[in-house]
Amino acid sequence: MMTLALLGLLACYTAGILLPPCLPGRPKAQNILANGSAIAASLFGILLGVTGLLASAPLNASLPSTLPLLAFAIRIDPLAAFFVLTISLAGLAVSVYALGYLAEFYGRSPIGLMGSLYNGFLLSMTLVIIADNGFFFLIVWELMSLVSYVLVVTEHENADVRYAGLFYLIMTHVGTAFIILTFLIFFQQTGSFSFEAFRHPEQPLAEGLRTLAFLAALIGFGVKAGIVPLHVWLPYAHPAAPSHVSALMSGVMIKTAIYALLRVYFDFLGGQFPWWWGFTILAVGAASALLGVMYALMEHDLKSLLAFHSVENIGIILLGIGAGMIFQTYGLPELAALGLLAGLYHTINHALFKALLFLGAGSLLYATHTRNMEEYGGLLRRMPWTGFCFLIGAVSIAALPPTNGFVSEWLVFQSLFLSFHLPAVFLKLMLPIAAAILALTSALALACFAKAFGLSFLALPRSAHARHAEEVPVAMRLGMGGLAAACAFLGLAPMVVVPLLDRVTGPLAGVSIEGRVLALDGWAVAPTNVEFSSISTPAIAVMLIALAGLGLLLAWIFGGRLKRRAYKTWGCGITLTPRMEYTATGFVQPIKRVFSTLYRPTVKLETEFLDESQYFAKRRRFEFHIEPVFQKYLYDPVVLFFSAAAGRLRIIQTGNLNLYLAYIFVTLILLLLTAV
Amino acid sequence: MPAIDPHIGTQLVDLCSALLLLTCFAIVAQRRLSACVELFALQSGFLAATTALVAFLTGIHHLYLAAAMTVLIKGLVIPRILKKVIERLNVTRELQMNVNVPAGLLICGALVILAFFITQPIIPLGFLLTRDSLAIALAIVLIGFFTMIARKKAVTQVVGFLVMENGLFLGATAAAYGMPLIVELGVFFDVLVASLIVGIYTHRIQDAFDSLDTSQLTTLKE
Repeated sequence: MMTLALLGLLACYTAGILLPPCLPGRPKAQNILANGSAIAASLFGILLGVTGLLASAPLNASLPSTLPLLAFAIRIDPLAAFFVLTISLAGLAVSVYALGYLAEFYGRSPIGLMGSLYNGFLLSMTLVIIADNGFFFLIVWELMSLVSYVLVVTEHENADVRYAGLFYLIMTHVGTAFIILTFLIFFQQTGSFSFEAFRHPEQPLAEGLRTLAFLAALIGFGVKAGIVPLHVWLPYAHPAAPSHVSALMSGVMIKTAIYALLRVYFDFLGGQFPWWWGFTILAVGAASALLGVMYALMEHDLKSLLAFHSVENIGIILLGIGAGMIFQTYGLPELAALGLLAGLYHTINHALFKALLFLGAGSLLYATHTRNMEEYGGLLRRMPWTGFCFLIGAVSIAALPPTNGFVSEWLVFQSLFLSFHLPAVFLKLMLPIAAAILALTSALALACFAKAFGLSFLALPRSAHARHAEEVPVAMRLGMGGLAAACAFLGLAPMVVVPLLDRVTGPLAGVSIEGRVLALDGWAVAPTNVEFSSISTPAIAVMLIALAGLGLLLAWIFGGRLKRRAYKTWGCGITLTPRMEYTATGFVQPIKRVFSTLYRPTVKLETEFLDESQYFAKRRRFEFHIEPVFQKYLYDPVVLFFSAAAGRLRIIQTGNLNLYLAYIFVTLILLLLTAV
Repeated sequence: MPAIDPHIGTQLVDLCSALLLLTCFAIVAQRRLSACVELFALQSGFLAATTALVAFLTGIHHLYLAAAMTVLIKGLVIPRILKKVIERLNVTRELQMNVNVPAGLLICGALVILAFFITQPIIPLGFLLTRDSLAIALAIVLIGFFTMIARKKAVTQVVGFLVMENGLFLGATAAAYGMPLIVELGVFFDVLVASLIVGIYTHRIQDAFDSLDTSQLTTLKE
């Protein structure tokens, strides 16, 4: 069954890569062919993921190659199967959406090429997950990075897009360098690039080498995951890509790094590590979560805002994993499994709601041709489907019950609060602090999505673009609707999700906790025991519906018959215009004030007066921007250093052919002399 | 095996090699471009003689073919191409040099000493009757390289490159009684194509800069 699903997946993606360019000049056929293949492949991927999670033994397969050390080996264990499932679920919805969305690009971009790359992107991500050979992994990892780079620069006429692509390319290659270092450490010890050898080395790694592997993997995969302070490429690259690709990059691609981190730490390093490893992950997670959401708040570009939220959510995932690692260190496997489970639950949730939100942003872009929230407004009436789906996504990412985001964040909270089981006082203090940071993060995320949804969909349209917006085609609505349904399902049915996740965390932590997490026949989730803390999302949903019904009932009883009278909103006697609305800048002004130490805002107010009098202003100009701290103090100095060094070295590049020959000649003579 | 005393054979090979080296010095000392090309043809003739001599002394017959190819391609075809280039571009003299002739000759002398110094530990290890030519071969390579550095005109740089190639060929003969035939044929073909391409490119340089002076190419740098 698994083999069949795997072969089907490979065949469909290959067809999706090869066929679209064979129909030049027929963009519609190319679009249907490319996304049809991707849909079929994703269905096979879902099948593969589910069967892989349920299978009793991992699937192994290998093709030898002519290159030494390289083997096209794959292995599908529960961990890999879970990520394949995540990728395929998001891939399915996004491909359906793309059927409609790509119409935007007809005649502007080569659809056949885009379709090929899109399929290649999905295929390379899947291969990254199931690769079982270090060499093979690096090849598909690089493939994933390069294909996504090409997709990012789809609209390369735009200078900003080219800059974003270049930034992404450089960052991802710095990351790859560190990943290669990680694998070389294992290779040096085992003499093989096979993951099986990494897993069971003949001699365990020396302590120093293990630490080096830990740090190199954290940096290498951290770049892809977008952890602070390596996140800087993310808000440039993700918005620059076409929306359906952004959805995959932000929702799924960064998760391949989470997968790889788990693979390295729990599989290759055997889940044995000093406490400070887990603490580092926790600290990185907390920093990413808080800073991600805080920068997201200041963004008025909807897609950049979402990209910053990916930083936040990666942080939340890492909080769960970090807590799990700490518990693992102190021999508390059940709690370790809980932390990992929480992190993985948030992983799949984020993949779904982030993809949904990016697709929603794509729909707004499709309808209004702008990403600037200040130019939206009043879109709910014009685009009710998109608005409703976006609302589901926003509620999920803001972790409001009873959605999926709430369940997983709640589990992360619980695993952080269980720190009282730890023997070390320092960590006993640190985990609740991380929980407090997570709480702040959630609150800010709520504010952020109140802003995003409110400004985009409510009140009056602020621009001609928004006034003329129309609902998007059916395929796009279908893609978003599917994801919205999946978000609701994952929130309401933890009893289905938790046992599946338990099959992933069981082998990693060495203990199954399904029975402990699920209570009341699976209708409630309780990390420790039912009395201490438990929660039931279906019950919350029922209660919310009941309360709403109750409110209506009371209104009907006490208020008499509902009468509807349509009249204009009262505006102090002035006709209401969009200029009176809350702006995005205004909305976040209080938060900006509170956290001005971090944002370091620059505010400029220029007033131009009438010639006759100083008391009447002719024009006022308000300018505001926040300082990109990491870019300014961490990246710019490095770039400047290398530019300066290159400038110094430039004097040897005269362009004179004779001189170049002389360099070679002198080198040759010196080498010959040293050889004697 | 021919009826010649191996000792005399070695002497003869050394003599021919020495003549090769002498032509190198002549090329460095020469200002007229067409004379440079003629000297290169002469050098190729000596190289062919050396190769034929080695073939005669050792009985490795495919070296005769290599010698014939040397005469044909390096002695006749390539010099003709280069002369065509010189004629068409109307450059007869190397007016500017990076290193003037006396200094160049001194440096070449130093390079020969260097070559002998470097190969000194290697030569006694060999057992071929041509082994002493190895030092000369290296000296020719170095002088060819030096010619490319010292001269500014593209044509002389090509000559320098071809001299290096001759040195390498002599080195192969000296160190291993020549390469396998297929490799040798490949090398001849490469050199021929390279000189054709170089001929075209010198035209291009002339068109672009109104001169064959390669130091003009500095304007191409960023």
